[in-house]
Amino acid sequence: MMVPVRCFTCGSVVGKHWEEFKARAREGDEDPDAVLNELGVERHCCRRMLVSHEDLVDVVSPYQ
Amino acid sequence: MTEDYEVEFVEREEREARFVVRGITPAFANGIRRAMIADVPTFSVDTVRVVENSSVMFDEQISLRLGLVPLTTPVDEFEIGDEVTLSIDVSGPNTAYSGDIVTSDDLVQPADDNVPIIELKDDQRLEAEADAVLDRGREHAKHQGGVAVGYRHLQRVEVVGDKEEFAKEEPEILRGVIEDDGELVATETFDNDLTNRYPGKEVEVHDIPNAFVFHVETDGSFSVDELVTAAIDSLHGRATELKEAVQL
Repeated sequence: MMVPVRCFTCGSVVGKHWEEFKARAREGDEDPDAVLNELGVERHCCRRMLVSHEDLVDVVSPYQ
Repeated sequence: MTEDYEVEFVEREEREARFVVRGITPAFANGIRRAMIADVPTFSVDTVRVVENSSVMFDEQISLRLGLVPLTTPVDEFEIGDEVTLSIDVSGPNTAYSGDIVTSDDLVQPADDNVPIIELKDDQRLEAEADAVLDRGREHAKHQGGVAVGYRHLQRVEVVGDKEEFAKEEPEILRGVIEDDGELVATETFDNDLTNRYPGKEVEVHDIPNAFVFHVETDGSFSVDELVTAAIDSLHGRATELKEAVQL
């Protein structure tokens, strides 16, 4: 629903990178690989947290 | 400790560092690693009193997210079990961030301001009060100050000769830090593949006894320096305690 605060595997805080990642790689047209490298998200456990995330608040909120 | 040991930094930043320690046993290296993960206390939200939550998430989910937000923890200012009260009050349409958390003690505040807690739509509101508690990583993972803390042997690379003319071109993958002619080289500088550094050479890689390369990252609660020294202090404290306990 909301981006996880921390990486499930290693526990580093990945939530703080979400908005920039979303703006640049999802809505923008930058290469996600380059954006993650620039943000300092190096391990593949942390990378998958951002790459595979989907915001669902908009989908769920009408049923509130 | 009777033998001398020395510490040398390869990389040093506020929240991430790599350093070589020489002259310690594997058991002691592991002791430091474990102390960094489980014995250095950090503040973390433990109890949440929800005043109003009309967001799309349940109170428990919001509480979990609040608990995972790292809070700055000054070393030696507080004792285990000490509490600090925090509060958050955000009305939609807006997103509640960790930076919206208001603290009653300026020493303890969110380490990062831009962790999204919950997105609020029109007429939704989140108001809550939370108690942050100082505790150790062994009680709950949210209290871990060190993230992905580990160590490897320092390795020495030796060129033993040239490769045969038609020898197979196999990659020689190394990770971490190598010592080359007394110089510390991070393996990323040659893309983790020794054949890039020594093309056409036959090389041998040996572990250097009692030399370890630590990689330490923190979640932002404190700096790497504080984490490592606090971990060693806790080890030292327990060793002294044991020494006194077994004295006749």
